[in-house]
Amino acid sequence: MKPENPILTMLSLAAGLLFLAPVLYSVWMSFQTADAFYAGRVSFTLDNYERAITQFSFARYLINSLIVSGLVTVLGITVATLAAFAFARFRFPGGDLMFGATVATLMIPSHISLIPNYLTLAKAGLLDTYAGLILPAISNGFAAFFLRQYIRGIPKALDEAAYMDGATHLQVLWRIIVPLSKPAISSMALYIFITEWNNYIWPLVAVGKQDLYTLQIGLARLYRINPGEGLIDWPLVMAASTITILPVLVGFLAVERHLVRGITMGAVK
Amino acid sequence: MLRKLTPYFFVAPLMIFIAVFTYVPILTSLNLSLRQWNFLTPDMPFVGLRNYEELFASADFWNSLWVTTLFAVFSVPLRLGAALAIASWLVRETLPARLLRGALFLPSVTSTVSIAVVFSWVFSTDYGMVNAVLATLGLGRPQWLQDPHLALWVLILVNTWKQIGYDIVIYIAGLQAIPQELYDAAAVDGGRRFHVFRRVTMPLVMPTTYFLLVISVIEAFQVFTIVNVMTRGGPAGATDMLVNLLYEIGFELFDIGRGSALAVILFVLLVALAILKSRIIGRKVHYEA
Repeated sequence: MKPENPILTMLSLAAGLLFLAPVLYSVWMSFQTADAFYAGRVSFTLDNYERAITQFSFARYLINSLIVSGLVTVLGITVATLAAFAFARFRFPGGDLMFGATVATLMIPSHISLIPNYLTLAKAGLLDTYAGLILPAISNGFAAFFLRQYIRGIPKALDEAAYMDGATHLQVLWRIIVPLSKPAISSMALYIFITEWNNYIWPLVAVGKQDLYTLQIGLARLYRINPGEGLIDWPLVMAASTITILPVLVGFLAVERHLVRGITMGAVK
Repeated sequence: MLRKLTPYFFVAPLMIFIAVFTYVPILTSLNLSLRQWNFLTPDMPFVGLRNYEELFASADFWNSLWVTTLFAVFSVPLRLGAALAIASWLVRETLPARLLRGALFLPSVTSTVSIAVVFSWVFSTDYGMVNAVLATLGLGRPQWLQDPHLALWVLILVNTWKQIGYDIVIYIAGLQAIPQELYDAAAVDGGRRFHVFRRVTMPLVMPTTYFLLVISVIEAFQVFTIVNVMTRGGPAGATDMLVNLLYEIGFELFDIGRGSALAVILFVLLVALAILKSRIIGRKVHYEA
């Protein structure tokens, strides 16, 4: 990285802050009392967070979101990695067709399956359950495609050496392919987690019980419950919004480079 | 024998999930779109193309298609134009460029519901950030989200704000792929900056532009969350985009037949666009060779 004019650095920082001003201000607002906010005074309170967490069940929603996104990520990555390994390393009848069908899912808009998936899960008695939230999100054609491309880049000689030593396919996958695919797997895991964390339309139709709301549904309901505009408790809503944003934001800042690399690899290549 | 089956064991879980939740639903939708059903009645009579006819005869459908088209026509060039301009400045590997890139990318991984809620406040008539500034300047207090002439523009702006970081990242990757020699040659020829941009940069990022163009049009046709949270399709249908209409018909009116017909129409539209996209990616490979 080249050293740069400090004035330019300051200006860029200011431009970035201005761009993010709505969100930054919403975080600031979440620490204001409602009275002070509407009177235009400055205050400080943690009361909004306390109310969001206790009175409005946001602790519960947070746990639900973590469970759902966590399981979708673990199961989605497992399923995608298994398939990617087969697509990358085996030639078998129907293999190309199945790989084609996997890639083609990228072109299929999810809304075509909204009503049918609702009916499938209703028939299975899985509406209003964690399983109902998780199952339709597990298959991820993009992750399978991406990992297959990555695994093809790993020298086959490594697999062959292991097979010579008597390793099984699963051992080769687990001991050789997975460790060497770590960057690709972690960026896909993050991608799946963020996508699922922010998923809105599916939990909206699949869940009616408040106990199973994810953060997205809880936040939308909290905001929508307020009847007229003048009556919205904005500082409370912003505390809930901050709770909804924060976990992903922290994760993103920790691994920004991985994620950006994953996204551009997928899009440009 | 078992050896030959090995790869099938590995792909089976993915194939089962894709079949159950992606491919079979396409057929289910097609089937349901030819029937009349409301979730409750025991039988679902076959009604032929009546659901499609009803949709094509309804003002709601055409309004929705029009609103969605408007959204795409205005938001896509705005996103891409601004993204290319910003990307060509931020492509440099310097500290300020990296900071700004991070800030611009952040909204694209942030919860859309949160963004919709925050911007509902930003554009709220009485307490919003925008009207606070306008009022200070003596420019009045427009009712952004309650005014049929303004609400769609607010949604376009919010969507642009959320997505532009992604476009910028993709453009930067495209710009970095342009060989430095071309710029050196242009510099030797004494090309001015704007000229170089138009004659060297623009044509060479064209494949990236095509790619972003098609995915952002596809995205525009799938916008739902900001509509559902910020306007519910209102005021007076002014922001009633296609997926929102699908949600209303299917899950508020429980008209499964008509909802499925709309889903099928949307599907055909988007798959046509997606095929266009894969053609374009094919051309890009050709372009680089």
